[in-house]
Amino acid sequence: MSTPDVKSVLAFPYPVPEVGAEDYWQAANDERLVMQKCDACAKLRFTPAPICTHCGDDQFTWAELSGKGKIITWTVITHPIHPAAVAKVPYVVVVVELDEQPGLRMVSNLIDAEVGEDGSAPTITFYAAVSVAFEPHPSGQKLPMFRLV
Amino acid sequence: MQSIANKACIVGVGHTEYSKDSGRSELKLATEAIGTAIADAGLSPVDIDGITKYTMDNNDPIDIARNLGIPRLRFFGEVAYGGGGGPCGTILMAAMAVATGQAKAVVAFRAMNERSGRGTARFGQAPTDESVTGVKSYMSPYGLFSPAQMVALAARRHMHLYGTESKHFGEIAVACRHHANMNPDAMMYGRPMTIEDHQASRMIADPLHLLDCCLETDGGAAVVITTPDRARDLKHVPVHIASAGLGGGAWNHLHILKDVEAPHTESTVIADHLFGDAGITQADIDVLFVYDHFTPLVMMAIEDYGFCKRGEGKDFVGNGRLRWPDGELPLNTSGGNLSHGYMHGMQNNIEAVRQLRGTARCQVKDADFAFIAAGNAVPTSAMILRRDGA
Repeated sequence: MSTPDVKSVLAFPYPVPEVGAEDYWQAANDERLVMQKCDACAKLRFTPAPICTHCGDDQFTWAELSGKGKIITWTVITHPIHPAAVAKVPYVVVVVELDEQPGLRMVSNLIDAEVGEDGSAPTITFYAAVSVAFEPHPSGQKLPMFRLV
Repeated sequence: MQSIANKACIVGVGHTEYSKDSGRSELKLATEAIGTAIADAGLSPVDIDGITKYTMDNNDPIDIARNLGIPRLRFFGEVAYGGGGGPCGTILMAAMAVATGQAKAVVAFRAMNERSGRGTARFGQAPTDESVTGVKSYMSPYGLFSPAQMVALAARRHMHLYGTESKHFGEIAVACRHHANMNPDAMMYGRPMTIEDHQASRMIADPLHLLDCCLETDGGAAVVITTPDRARDLKHVPVHIASAGLGGGAWNHLHILKDVEAPHTESTVIADHLFGDAGITQADIDVLFVYDHFTPLVMMAIEDYGFCKRGEGKDFVGNGRLRWPDGELPLNTSGGNLSHGYMHGMQNNIEAVRQLRGTARCQVKDADFAFIAAGNAVPTSAMILRRDGA
């Protein structure tokens, strides 16, 4: 395991796709949000998985999503525990449920929301509508993030 | 159905001091704690023939055996998922070993330099690797690293669904601190805390305050398990394992990012059989031990194990119910992970044994049954301990 000089680490870690997840991250670079759709039961699943978590079938097609969803929960992080967080706090981590399927949720950042240094975030509400935006990580990998609609 | 109920006993307990910097190796901490537990049982290392450990514990059973003078190790095993599987799972595994004759007397332990970082990385700080893969790659690139940050997401959801407020979580922290202040061995001894202190403590990840989060600790803790027959001849009155279980499921695939609405959780998997195996109900429990990594998860465990209905935790924890001596169901009577020491729940096991021996500092009167839940929001473990004769 690498042990870089802490002071030199100015970005959050970037994703290295695991086997089977390459298409998800490549699609993000192409500014498309895709998830696996089961060929047998048509259910979407996330995070990428080798078999359908609903019916057990292993055949699937990558399906493009609308990128629209709603906020299920969030936290405003004010206490930096990573070197790169020092310049980023306060920042918002959200759990978004995507419009395509009840329970289809992902972790992301809510960007461009009004957030106070004390963690107050008056514009963020439960079930607020959000839309995906692709933001580049310093590594070059684009990450799906969300904005309030 | 067969179960482990009443087929094994805890006969010895031991621990080091709990500190911010032990100044010695994790192997030294493990051997001290285990050696103390063996002596407490009235045994010597040659009587021990099994060791069970948390998978994440850095100590190797064979190193412990060699250093302690355990000549023949007939059983060893480890239980995954940190403070979830470890605290009661290592004891369940030891109980199964002695009940089936694979071993005569087994030690279960946890030892770590988690606070000083001399051997174990601090859980409250993010690793600084340049990249991540697998499940972390869907969290870490967004700056979601620590258990506290993940629990904040679940806590806010619970607050929204059930009207829970931060001050309700605070009741749990205050109860644990109340008990720690009667325990000179506790890291937070001499540092009283009120709900106002809890509310004024700095925000870690909104809505989690600093005082919702457990300590970080260097130390070691161990217990000795054997059969009821062998236990009769030992130093202390035995404490019986009335039931025990492990629980996990497919729903928390993002590890501790807890789905608050899930109808079944790792805790309900165990609750479904734990009380029945012991032949009692929640109402028979005299003293409660719930792994207190974060106060919202303690409330969710109390709900999921059926001490109240889901969403009723906010009222259940109020009115001093969790505080010794007047509370109906004292919680973590030596101070727990929050205020005694973060020994990954093993300190709660030791305190539960003391309660049922009748030697606890905050001794619950006529305590017959103790309930112990390990860490939830990960695959977990739990057990019910019974006083001899109860």
